[in-house]
Amino acid sequence: MFRNAMLSGFSSVRNVKNLFFPSLANIKQGRVSAVCIRSMSKHSSETEEEFDARYEAYFNRSDIDGWDVRKAMNDLQGMDLVPEPKIISAALKACRRVNDYALAVRFLEAVKDKCGNRVKEIYPYIIQEVRPILDELGVNTPEEMGYDKPELYLESVYDIH
Amino acid sequence: MTGAGPGCLPLGNESDISSMAGHLLKVATKHLPSRYVASRIFIPSVAYHKERIGNREVVGFGLNGEPSYIDRTDFPMPAIRFKENSQEIITLREKEKDDWRKLTMDEKKALYRASFCQTFAEMKAPTGEWKSVLAGTLVAMSLTIWIYVWMKKFVYQPMPESFSPERKAAQFQRMIDLRINPIEGLTSNYDYENNRWKD
Repeated sequence: MFRNAMLSGFSSVRNVKNLFFPSLANIKQGRVSAVCIRSMSKHSSETEEEFDARYEAYFNRSDIDGWDVRKAMNDLQGMDLVPEPKIISAALKACRRVNDYALAVRFLEAVKDKCGNRVKEIYPYIIQEVRPILDELGVNTPEEMGYDKPELYLESVYDIH
Repeated sequence: MTGAGPGCLPLGNESDISSMAGHLLKVATKHLPSRYVASRIFIPSVAYHKERIGNREVVGFGLNGEPSYIDRTDFPMPAIRFKENSQEIITLREKEKDDWRKLTMDEKKALYRASFCQTFAEMKAPTGEWKSVLAGTLVAMSLTIWIYVWMKKFVYQPMPESFSPERKAAQFQRMIDLRINPIEGLTSNYDYENNRWKD
């Protein structure tokens, strides 16, 4: 009952009413969800530029910590897109701010993986666009580190008897 | 410790459940070594995981909120670093706070391997498993054929005499004499005037 009122996020007067009459709350206000506006379809009304700007601003937060950087990178990996070079640059600078070199290289590998079967067209373009940031921060691409080919072998757990 | 994880209170086969719960929360918050954690006792899940990962740093939410490590191409940043924080790694981390251009390639590689087990190339490397699968399939097929040969030799009765070549020729001649399929089929190709097959 209390949680119902908390989720509503309405003014305190309505909160009190909701505490005493919880069944009325849903019927009268007729709300679907509390804070975010959810539509029934999965298409969001955000344009590509808004999306890019949102993620760039997210990575450009000066007080970002490793947890949030990783969350955003994992979310980008789950989406059906290759991130724009400006998002990638912002992410690399965020890695610098959290002092995590391995994270930067891992993110570049992840972006290359997102290119799918058009790696040869997309990835060189991305590296070319991101090259100034790479040089400024001192980040090596996975190719320069020798990680474009397998280096170590790991026995699969299914082969260990 | 912020306290018990959700849904991890012990099942009530003790008589005094509330004191058991209180005791367990105290136990968990003291970070007891693992020999005190019998498999029968349920402790809050955070403490359980923290024991199993040892000295590894928790760096993110991970795939499902548990501090575990896994290499996945669709989820590149796991919840914990791969290696425990040893002395060399701690010194490397101090160096990492400085300019990255000062790191040598070996140090960079060491930093990567400290956080991650396999690179993407290693994750996606072909295993060659298809060769053993194909080999196994072909072996199974040839074994089947050997079994059939054995069956034919030792199990099946001999074929009836009507399958011998002479008898089959006689049956064929009978089909010609009976004018089987004379319009479009067998004997449409036979020249009855000259008693031979048409060219």
